[in-house]
Amino acid sequence: MHITAMTLSCAAGVGLPAVRAALHAARTGLRVNDFPHCDLETWIGRVDGIEEICLDQQFTGWSCRNNQLAMLGLEQDQFMASVSSLKQRVDPTRIACIIGTTTAGISNTEAAYRGLPRGQGFQAEHLQPRVHSQHVSASFVAEVLGLDGPVLTVSTACSSSAKVFANAVRLINSGWVDAAIVGGVDSLCLSVLYGFHSLELISNHPCQPFDLNRSGLSLGEAAGFAILERHNSANSQGRLLGFGESSDAHHMASPHPDGSGARAAMQQALDSAQLQPEQISYINCHGTATPLNDRIEAAAIKQVFPKPPPAASTKAFTGHTLGAAGITESILSLLSLQEQWVPASLNCQAPEAEWADFILTAAQHMPVNYVLNNAFGFGGSNTSLLFGRA
Amino acid sequence: MNIDVDVLGVGVCAPGLADWNSLMAAFSGAELDTDQAANHGTLLSARDRRRAPSTVKLTFSAAEQACVMAGIAPDEPIAIFSTSMGDMAISDYMCQVLAESPQQLSPTRFHNSVHNAASGYWSIGVGAKGDITALCGGVDSATVGLIDALSRIGGTTKPVLVVIYDDIAVGPMRELFPANYPFCAALLLSRPTTAAALMKLRASPVRRQDSTVAMPPALAQRIEDNPAARLLPLLALIGGHTDAPITLGAEQGPGIEFRRRML
Repeated sequence: MHITAMTLSCAAGVGLPAVRAALHAARTGLRVNDFPHCDLETWIGRVDGIEEICLDQQFTGWSCRNNQLAMLGLEQDQFMASVSSLKQRVDPTRIACIIGTTTAGISNTEAAYRGLPRGQGFQAEHLQPRVHSQHVSASFVAEVLGLDGPVLTVSTACSSSAKVFANAVRLINSGWVDAAIVGGVDSLCLSVLYGFHSLELISNHPCQPFDLNRSGLSLGEAAGFAILERHNSANSQGRLLGFGESSDAHHMASPHPDGSGARAAMQQALDSAQLQPEQISYINCHGTATPLNDRIEAAAIKQVFPKPPPAASTKAFTGHTLGAAGITESILSLLSLQEQWVPASLNCQAPEAEWADFILTAAQHMPVNYVLNNAFGFGGSNTSLLFGRA
Repeated sequence: MNIDVDVLGVGVCAPGLADWNSLMAAFSGAELDTDQAANHGTLLSARDRRRAPSTVKLTFSAAEQACVMAGIAPDEPIAIFSTSMGDMAISDYMCQVLAESPQQLSPTRFHNSVHNAASGYWSIGVGAKGDITALCGGVDSATVGLIDALSRIGGTTKPVLVVIYDDIAVGPMRELFPANYPFCAALLLSRPTTAAALMKLRASPVRRQDSTVAMPPALAQRIEDNPAARLLPLLALIGGHTDAPITLGAEQGPGIEFRRRML
C-alpha cells in the first residue's frame, strides 16, 4: 500500500519543511505551559496559530480547537491539492476518511461548563451537537475534502491514529474503497492536562524519553494526514508493508509488565510484512518518557529483536500527541525512509544501561529500508506499523 | 459488491430488553417492562460491577450474550465497540470538576473517560488479547461499526464481535443528547460457512436512509430515542420478524443493505 501524500503539523513545526528543520536542528517544540485556564507546572507541545484559524461559515457546526488544528494541518504541504488530484483519479464515493482522535472537541465541552451554575443548561453558543461527539474530527475532514466513502473515527487512546492505517488497508482490500485519507488530530485541553497530572504521569520538565532521569511525559497536539492507495506507485512517498494490533488485557492505564501486548503487535507487524527482525533498520518507539512505559517497551523490543536496530522516541520534539501520535510518528518514520537519516532520541542524554546499545543519542545518516513504528495506549491497545521505501 | 456474513449470536441490553428472548417477545407485542432488573451476565463479578462505569455494564451484558449464543469463548473474537457519545456520566463529571477544581480530578475517572473504556474493560475482563477497537460515527455509529466488521470478515478466520451502544446523558448534555433509554446490541459475526447460523446475511453498500420496519410503538420509540437502537430493524430481520431487506444509512458515505441469504 502506497502513501502518496502526507502532511504534518505539530509543535516541532507546521508543515513538513518546518518539521524537517526542527528534526535536523535537534530542536524541541516543547515550551513552558502557557495553555489558558491551566496552571500546571509542565512543558507542552502547543502548536502556534491554531486560535487564528477561522473556519468557513459552512463549518460553524464543526467549530472547535480540534478542527481549527485539522484545518491548519490540511492547508500545509499542498495536501488539499493532492486530494483534489486523487479525486480526479478515484471517485469520491470510493475514498474513505479515517481519523484517529482522543480529545476531539472536548475543549468546547469544557468551555461550555465553565462559569455555568450547576443545574443550568449550556449557553446557546455551546449547543453544538456534532462537536461534543468524538466523530467531529473525521466528519469535518470528510466534509472539507469532499469525500463520500465510509467516514470512521478511531478512538483507542494513544494507538488511535496508528490503527487508522489498518482500517484503511481492510477497507481497500475488502473492496469498499480504492483509496483512503487517514490521519489523526488531537488538541490540548484541560481534560488531558489535568487528567495525566492526576495520574502523576506528566513531567515538570521537557520529557526525556529513555533517559535515566526521565520523569514523565510532555503533552502535545498535532494534526497529520496521509493518502493511502494500493496502486499509483509513481507518486509513492513510502509504503505501508504490515501492521500488528493487540491488547494487553491487563489494566486501563498501565501496560502489561511483561510487555506481551507490545511484543505481539511488533511480531504481527513483522509477520504480516514477511520481514525478519534483522531486516528492520530503525524503530520509532512509542517512548512516552514515563519511567514504566519506556522500560516495558525497551524490554519488549529486546524480546522481539535479538539484536535491536537503532531506535528513538521523537516525543521530545512534538510532545505526546495522544490520538495523533500514530500519524505523527508514521510520517516521521516515512521522512527517515526518504532521507536515509534517523533523528536522535531527543533529550536522552544518559540512556539506561539496558538499552544504551540501541537507543540513539545522536542523529545518524544510515541506510533506512524498513521502519517499525509503535503506538501503545490506555485500555492496553497496541499497534505497530511497518513502513518501507517508495 | 456483496459481502456474505453469518450471524452466530446476538445480545441486547436496554431497559425492558434484558436479552434476545425479551426483544423477540417485544417484537411480537409483549410490553416492555422497564422496571425489570438488568441482566448482568456472569463475566463481571459483583465487586467489579459496583465499580464499573455504566457503559461497561451495558456492553458486557450484550457482548456476553452474543458469545454465549454462538458458543464462542469471549476472548476469541476480534471486537469492535462503536458509540456516538461514549460515557456521558464521566464526561459530565470531568467537565464539572475541570470548571470548578481541576486539581481534584479523579485519576480513575480520567482513565475511564477514554472512548475505548468499554472495549478496554472487555479485553481485561475476558482476557482478550487480540485486535479490539473503539469507533465512533456520531449518530451513524451503528453503520460505521458494521462497515468495519464487514471489511474484516473476508480477511480473517476469527469471529468478529460488534458492540453498538449509547448511554444516556446526564447534566447539561441532555439538551444535546436527550435519549431516555440506554441501548446496546452485540452481534457475533463470522465469514460464511456451511455450518448452521442464527441467520445468514448478504450485505452491500447502498445510498439510502434507514429502513422502517413495522414494530410495536414501544420499540419504534427506542429508535427515535437513541441512535444505537437504529439497529432494531436489522435485529428484526435476524430474528425473523421481517423478511424484507434492511438498510442502515449514514449521513456521510455509504450505508449498508442487509438481506437474508438464500441457500
